Amino acid sequence: MIRFWDVLERAENGKILAEKDWDRMIGEVAAQVVSDYDIKYDPEDPVPTDDSLADRLFEAGVELFEKTGIYCIDTGKVLKFTKDEIMEALEGAPERAVYGSGNDVVEMPHREVEDPRDPVVNFSAVGTPVTEELFVPICQSYAQEPIADTFSGPLITTYRGMPVTSGSPVEMEAGIWNVIKLREAARLAGRPTIPIHNFMSIAERTDATIAAARPELGALAGDGLFVAAIAELKVDYERLKKVSFLINSPYVIGGLYGPLMGGYGGGPAATAALLVAHHILGVISFRAQRHNAFPIHIHNICNTSRDMIWLISITGQALARNTHLVTVANAFMASGPCTETIIWELAAHSVAATVSGWHLNPCAVAKNRHPLHCSGMEPRMHAEVGHVTARGGTTRKEAGRIVKALLERYEKHISNPPIGKSFTECYDPVSIKPKDEYILLWEDSKKSLEDLGLKFKLL
Amino acid sequence: MNDIILNLKKEILRGEATKIKELVKKAIDQGLAPLEILEKALRPAMEEVGKKFEDLEIFLPDMMKAAEAMTAGTETLRPYLGPGNADIKKGLILLGTVEGDVHEIGKNIVRVMLEGVGFKVIDLGYNVPVLTFVEKVKELNPDILGMSALMTTTMVHMPRVIKELQDRDLKKKVKIIVGGAPVLPDWAEKIGADGYGENAGEAVNLVRRLVK
Repeated sequence: MIRFWDVLERAENGKILAEKDWDRMIGEVAAQVVSDYDIKYDPEDPVPTDDSLADRLFEAGVELFEKTGIYCIDTGKVLKFTKDEIMEALEGAPERAVYGSGNDVVEMPHREVEDPRDPVVNFSAVGTPVTEELFVPICQSYAQEPIADTFSGPLITTYRGMPVTSGSPVEMEAGIWNVIKLREAARLAGRPTIPIHNFMSIAERTDATIAAARPELGALAGDGLFVAAIAELKVDYERLKKVSFLINSPYVIGGLYGPLMGGYGGGPAATAALLVAHHILGVISFRAQRHNAFPIHIHNICNTSRDMIWLISITGQALARNTHLVTVANAFMASGPCTETIIWELAAHSVAATVSGWHLNPCAVAKNRHPLHCSGMEPRMHAEVGHVTARGGTTRKEAGRIVKALLERYEKHISNPPIGKSFTECYDPVSIKPKDEYILLWEDSKKSLEDLGLKFKLL
Repeated sequence: MNDIILNLKKEILRGEATKIKELVKKAIDQGLAPLEILEKALRPAMEEVGKKFEDLEIFLPDMMKAAEAMTAGTETLRPYLGPGNADIKKGLILLGTVEGDVHEIGKNIVRVMLEGVGFKVIDLGYNVPVLTFVEKVKELNPDILGMSALMTTTMVHMPRVIKELQDRDLKKKVKIIVGGAPVLPDWAEKIGADGYGENAGEAVNLVRRLVK
């Protein structure tokens, strides 16, 4: 069994390779394995039903990882693993993650394809920049949702008037503030011990994370942290230091993988193989207990385009059928809050991900870059769709039909989507309740989604 | 003559550096003017490559191969150009991902596309310290300095670079462009950048406008 020590040893003593040669090799190997295993993207089949395709994709991803390994950019060396080591690591990986304690325990088991059990939903504002003043109200809008199993926050770019700069003392202070304010938002939401699945969204550096990881600040045992791989299949010592801290902590480790579709890996099929390989990276080098996937379209900066929905669906199926990993799909929307298009995007992503074996982590909004463009309503809608999809016993075939109908409604807008409304335009900032306009939009849209086959009475 | 132009374009699109070298020599032997080869075959082919990448008809590895074929073609042409045309590059661009940030795919795409359409690019890589940008601007006197960042905690180094350039009276000597996932056009304007590109294609158009 590969130990963390083996990972560190191989990072020091692996074969030397120039980073540009690594980047080139990724594309060559990915192209080779998708050809050898006959993995082809079919735009007419965004939620594939072919089990053999999913199984071949898994094999392709394992072979890709076996051939490439992991690149450590601090040492310029390649960490290689044999197929036996890979399969043994997958076999020994956790089949459930458990957040929280007492009355707020959240179990995330491995999900299967077309699993009728509810996906666990991690409500998250992902990386949306917000102001200090609105950080707590926005977090409260997520934590207060009854359907939220866990939550995490957005980020601030300035703290007490100073920019939050990577590696600076301000970053460390802002990181501590981050944890305090997340727990404050949980208390204001009436859920003081709701698990926070990623308690550090503001600070990047490991020292700032460690400084903030204290229960008296609000980071409780059973909360969690994410460790993000660098695209494609790269790690650095900053990340491995975070792993070193986490494996000696009471926090749940989440791996975070965002291969770029259209980037070094290539197209949808090659990027799907790369995403499988990233999960192996997370098992081996991050010791991850749950795995978050946020593959991104290189131009559209979202994962709701037709090719991305296919990629998410088939990769989820490959992992669900061939491993017992706890996998979670991060939703990245092109459109912004309080728009019709975001509802169709959220629904398509949620339906496809839920039937393909993923748990849900909604969501980045408005391409994840427009300040204050996020609210608890977006994950609420994503979660409700996910729950009724699972409870209704939706098959992949039915999901494919629904997703295709939804794609017709939004895909033409994806390259130039509406950015929608800001938090204070969508919510009453005092009561932290969504405004009538947003509620009515969702209620009307639900009727349309019911016509497509989603049964909201199952909620 | 048209056949060889078409073949040159085809091999650029296929990223066949070796064949491009052979075809360029053949074109010269057949009496084509070096600048004609450049302007009618190689550069239009790379324009097409850039367009195909924007439409995701091809992906980054394909574009990188095409850019290498383009470089092979221009290097093969160089000895045949007269002294006045010895420098076939359109301008000098300095690129880098800012301090603390190891994400460079976006910046690399911009580099490949700029090289493809004829700019000379010096890539400082990622995690580039603020003062390294300043030193390199002073040393290389580029037409454009392009900075990218993927994180909000690192994009704040962009105004630091601009301030250090201003403090050394270097800002007016170089146009500054910025980009990356968290960067928005109004922020770019606020920090004093001369331009912002939403994506690699926009960055190339921006550089063309600024270098003119």
